[in-house]
Amino acid sequence: MIEMTESAAATTNKLVASDVDVYYGNFRAIKSASLAMKAQKVTALIGPSGCGKSTFLRALDRMHDLTPGARVEGQILLDGEDIYGPDADPVVIRHRIGMVFQRPNPFPKTIFENVIYGPRIHGERNRTKLQEIAEHALRGAALWDEVKDRMQRSALDLSGGQQQRLCIARAIALNPEVLLMDEPASALDPIATSKIEDLIGELKEHYTVVIVTHSMQQAARISDDTAFFHLGEIVEVGPTSRIFTHPKEKRTEDYITGRFG
Amino acid sequence: MAAVTTIAPRSVSATGSVRNRRIADMTATVVLWVMASSIIVMLAAFIIYMVYLGWSALTPSFIFGVPQETTAGGGIGPEIYNSFYILILTLVFTVPIAVAAGIYLQEYSQPGRFRGVVQFSAESLATIPSVVMGLFGLLVFVYLFKWHFTALGGALTLTLLNLPALMRVTQEALSSVPDTLREASMGMGGTKWQTITRVVLPSAIGRMTTGVVLIAGRIFGETAALIFTAGLSVPYNNPYSLSPWRPAETLAVHLWYSHSESIVPDVARIGNGSALVLLIMVLLFNLSARIVGRQLTKRFTGRAE
Repeated sequence: MIEMTESAAATTNKLVASDVDVYYGNFRAIKSASLAMKAQKVTALIGPSGCGKSTFLRALDRMHDLTPGARVEGQILLDGEDIYGPDADPVVIRHRIGMVFQRPNPFPKTIFENVIYGPRIHGERNRTKLQEIAEHALRGAALWDEVKDRMQRSALDLSGGQQQRLCIARAIALNPEVLLMDEPASALDPIATSKIEDLIGELKEHYTVVIVTHSMQQAARISDDTAFFHLGEIVEVGPTSRIFTHPKEKRTEDYITGRFG
Repeated sequence: MAAVTTIAPRSVSATGSVRNRRIADMTATVVLWVMASSIIVMLAAFIIYMVYLGWSALTPSFIFGVPQETTAGGGIGPEIYNSFYILILTLVFTVPIAVAAGIYLQEYSQPGRFRGVVQFSAESLATIPSVVMGLFGLLVFVYLFKWHFTALGGALTLTLLNLPALMRVTQEALSSVPDTLREASMGMGGTKWQTITRVVLPSAIGRMTTGVVLIAGRIFGETAALIFTAGLSVPYNNPYSLSPWRPAETLAVHLWYSHSESIVPDVARIGNGSALVLLIMVLLFNLSARIVGRQLTKRFTGRAE
């Protein structure tokens, strides 16, 4: 749990990216992106397809380490510490920063095994404790009532929306400080989407949430701050209400009024 | 705006090119069905014929008895034992090496020259005829190491013969596991090794079991490589020896030997009986391996595939 008072949280930057470049080989996919993500707020990354918003998000969790040929330059501070620094360990970083992916990717294991995967790989063996963690995480992801009687069934038997909430439960079972979400509702129907959106509103009470979305309505509904990406650059950042009503940049305005994208 | 064109009334029955396409469609269905059925018919005829020929030979004294060198009434007990002995010994060598190599190539090595060279070598090795591998085993294990004909030499030769195939199968099985699962595990702070042992391998275990079953069938049926390495005899003073340092004629080799070299009068009976027993062994092994594979998959994934 993050020890932080409500008032302090409002002004604290949890994750700060400064002049971040991401390269795939020689291709510079992100150009000098700087963004401060506030604690216990939802920051939305919006922009047209291929603008680099997912690429930027993945840099926040060091997921590019897994892609041959990809590299990240610049600085990303988590509570003031550089996650790309020489002493930074990706295993620790990914424990503190959770990620939910675009398509639900539950393991082909039981529902229970999915939820407790994270705590288990980080060394938790106590069965009672694991069961408590599972229940807490599933309640947090608003899935408990639907699956409590079939914890030993395969996660693949769940519907798409349930699978995605299971993936959120799996991420929050680790009690991360930051939750990164890469278009978590793009593969879901409207009902499942609204459940996920409600959930994000609840999650920000405990976590710092960064969400990539291609839906401007979704960004407007759920986020506190919005960053607009275009062609690998952050064009404009600000409180969501202002970005959507009084964008300063012409490109932002064109995008949110539907002139391109 | 373009002018709205009126559409002439059309019929729902097939005419012209639609009719031709329908005919092609039906022809293809019939041809493919006949091909598939003929495979089943051939297999069934083959099995029925083997059962017809071999059934009368399946007496307890044949299945459990020891073979005879010159007189009628020889059994195949030690040969059945040797078939399983060599199978298990070969798998003990092959599975760990092939699986480890497959994991390394698929999960650790970068696509590039080294991976290419290993895969090219493996594919070349996989196409070497087993008789050539048998001669290699003869030169190395029998003559160079002076082991003479041994179960161990036979198993090692079969290991060389089957390593590339199982390594390939392991690679295919691992590559069938979606990268999104690896990302999920790594994204939660899992190490590469945890990701492989807890997510990738359990997801791939079903296909890997199928691969083991396939090479097991080949090991049961292998003759050429074993004739030169494990020999054509069983130790008469101790036919069910546990030692790997003794000649170990398998059932498939015995089948070949009794038909081509043996001077016993009841060659036909021994041949027909051995063939049927070999067939039953392969079927039983395939079935049990499938059940084991399904159980493993179910245990690891919570659902049967």
